[in-house]
Amino acid sequence: MLVFVLQRLWQAIVVILAMSVLVFCGVYAVGNPIDVLISPDATQDIRAAVIAQYGLDLPLWQQYLGFLGRLIQGDFGHSFVYNMPVSDLILSRLPATLELTLTAVMFASLVGIPIGIYAGYRPHSPVSRAIMAVSILGFSVPTFWFGLMLIMLFAVQCGCMPAGGRGETLDLFGVPFSFLTLDGMQHLLLPALNLALFKFSLMIRLARAGTREVMLSDTVKFARAAGLSEFTVLSRHVLRLISIPLVTVFGLELGSTLAFAVVTETIFSWPGLGKLIIDSITSLDRPVMVAYLMLVALLFIVINLVVDLAYALLDPRLRKGRA
Amino acid sequence: MTAPLLEVTDLRTWFATARGEIKAVDGVSFTINPGEVLGLVGESGSGKSITGFSIIGLIDEPGRIVEGSIKLEGRELTGLSASELRQIRGKTVSMVFQDPMMTLNPVLSIETQIRLALEAHEKIGADEARRRAIAALAQVRIPDPEIKVDYYPHQFSGGMRQRVAIAIALLHRPKLIICDEPTTALDVSVQAEILSEMKELVAELGTALIWISHDLAVVASLADRVAVMRYGQIVETGAALDVLTHPRHDYTKGLLDALPSRAKPGEMLARGADADAVPPPREAATHEVPPLGSPYLVIEDAVKIYQKPAGLIQSLAVRAGWAAPEPIVRAVDGVSLTLHRGEVLGLVGESGSGKSTLGRMAAGIYAPTAGTVRLNGKAVMSGGRSPVKITTRVQTIFQDPFASLNGRMRIGDIIAEGPIAHRLITRRDAPDYVGRWLAAVGLDPALSNRFPHQFSGGQRQRIAIARALAMQPDVVVCDEPVASLDVSIQAQIINLLIKLRRELDLSLIFISHDLSVVRHLCDRVAIMYRGRIVEEGGAAEIYDNPQHDYTKRLLEAVPVLPEAAE
Repeated sequence: MLVFVLQRLWQAIVVILAMSVLVFCGVYAVGNPIDVLISPDATQDIRAAVIAQYGLDLPLWQQYLGFLGRLIQGDFGHSFVYNMPVSDLILSRLPATLELTLTAVMFASLVGIPIGIYAGYRPHSPVSRAIMAVSILGFSVPTFWFGLMLIMLFAVQCGCMPAGGRGETLDLFGVPFSFLTLDGMQHLLLPALNLALFKFSLMIRLARAGTREVMLSDTVKFARAAGLSEFTVLSRHVLRLISIPLVTVFGLELGSTLAFAVVTETIFSWPGLGKLIIDSITSLDRPVMVAYLMLVALLFIVINLVVDLAYALLDPRLRKGRA
Repeated sequence: MTAPLLEVTDLRTWFATARGEIKAVDGVSFTINPGEVLGLVGESGSGKSITGFSIIGLIDEPGRIVEGSIKLEGRELTGLSASELRQIRGKTVSMVFQDPMMTLNPVLSIETQIRLALEAHEKIGADEARRRAIAALAQVRIPDPEIKVDYYPHQFSGGMRQRVAIAIALLHRPKLIICDEPTTALDVSVQAEILSEMKELVAELGTALIWISHDLAVVASLADRVAVMRYGQIVETGAALDVLTHPRHDYTKGLLDALPSRAKPGEMLARGADADAVPPPREAATHEVPPLGSPYLVIEDAVKIYQKPAGLIQSLAVRAGWAAPEPIVRAVDGVSLTLHRGEVLGLVGESGSGKSTLGRMAAGIYAPTAGTVRLNGKAVMSGGRSPVKITTRVQTIFQDPFASLNGRMRIGDIIAEGPIAHRLITRRDAPDYVGRWLAAVGLDPALSNRFPHQFSGGQRQRIAIARALAMQPDVVVCDEPVASLDVSIQAQIINLLIKLRRELDLSLIFISHDLSVVRHLCDRVAIMYRGRIVEEGGAAEIYDNPQHDYTKRLLEAVPVLPEAAE
């Protein structure tokens, strides 16, 4: 187990390094931030001074080494646009996104998996067919359209839900969260639902496919032959047996939702990371882009590590170092 | 005369399919008295397992009990609700399945699985459940039950897992246990242990057993009475000794005659000895081949070691003493073996003995870690870092005809693929060539454009044989080619191998765990144990006068049929 963790850490460092090179060079290929930063009628001297101030006149590899050195010290640089440290900027936006995506992914899993197991347990019942129809809909309806429809229906037509923003927030450990107040929860509901729809459908289908397969196995037959109730068979045997692919997808979806909740955040004007990155791309705010991309890479690495450890927890055959 | 424990009358379990009703069980009647052992014998598809599942109320959709009655201690079981049936399952009637690798849940500890089974029928605290679990494991003779109770299934061998399954089936002291081929997937010696333990447990607890099996000898060693099933019906029933020594029904007679242990070695077995067409002539053959009886395939000091390559961190951790190095598996540990031209060499051993690995090295599928494999003086595989097979004169027939044929290819293409690739035939001649080989293995040449799933297990194994022989080999490595087949189909395949070997002067390496099949087919036998050959010699000598302890144990473990007192 120790070796496994060490191996993964080593891999993580390599991936982060590779990612930093890619991100740094990639961002350099896009436009020139100086054109955005200073007015077009500035003199050549001012222009040169600004370029020197940001270190943009140095060779690329020197800029990269400088960037890497600052990165290790936890300094992501200053945002060109907001003129504040990037780390502060990201930290101010991260809780909003975290809150939204966690709510969405948890909802999708906690509701989707039991529904999927039921659909796999009784594959031919009308209820299961209805569930599958809904899940196909969930796959095929574009997120932005579904979000607009939610706003139309609940905010515009019936007026019972707010159309955007985070609403009232309450501080927890000095960080503002919406889910602690009633008003905040109301604001959270629609965007979370919108974000959850696709994952919800995915979880249903995965759980259903796994359950259908496992229900035919000798393990389930043997458990039934020992007189176990159907609920015990499903909750203790089937759920554990289908959990590996579910955890895999849960991890992947959590990562990609955290990183790319852009559409939902834009529609519901949720002040999260997604909106921040879109804004920085349009204004060529390099440090923010770089820091954001690095954060996403780190996020995926951490999530994958946790998923791998969860595998070992769920399946004893994957635990090493035991007789 | 006590009242019967179980009374099954005119049971019919049918499966509704798109092509009409399949009558899996079609009018079965029998009774079992308390403490009695009934052997239910039949080939695959005879409905013996479905009979067992009908009794315990676990018929999967679209199957259903159409009519008939199942009375347990006078109580009618058909028509009971799902929850009433559940009350009986595990408590009064329990079941043990064939494959212990599949029945236990791999992700739950043994303790959890036993506790769940206990909680199904009684309220029980965690400590009490653990105590009962340990006692249950001790009862089925699992050593160190206090430690083993925390194990997961993968930490047990097959035999131990089956013991755990039996322990779970015994938890609530059921009056009847249905055992569905519980020893079929196990090695002979493990089977012998489980059989004798089962006998003792049944005698001790007074439990009645329904022992479902295709193996007449196993049933003979355990059952008081035997019922023989075919096409969903019981064709013959009676006291075990009577049925097996004086069978009255033709089908029972046929089953017994198909057993290699009851025939003279080397002769065609009864049943299915149909005259097949002569195989096509061998173009590439017969040049520079030594005469029959001279050494042909020579294996010298072959070693095969399996070890996972260690990564950088792993090696560092091993050096620092934080982690154990990757285990080294010596699958084959210095084996020298000579196959003479024209002979059949039996390679016998239990699972994990390295017999399949040795066979694959002989066939040029695996490169030996050390040692050589030579055919007629020439190496079977090329040297270098990534060795490849360089001869077509050795071919292989694998165990599982369901896995060894590509399900997406027509069987004609499967057979022609190799010969065309090696220019033994041209693409234009292929249909004719394939047709003749299909005829030679007893299949209709017109079937060559069908896919493997359209054939039965026995027919698929014939296709696999045709595929191997179409390469015109001199040596064929047969890796348990009849292990997954029914007795009568097994007899047909054995007959086919005997016939083809005679006609083509083939040399065979016949890998098997079934000692009676090896005795029947092989001229010489090599016994493998833990990667080494412990004994080698003429088949008759080894069977009549085994020298090595392991060979003796192996031979003693084989269940034998009672001989008719004539």
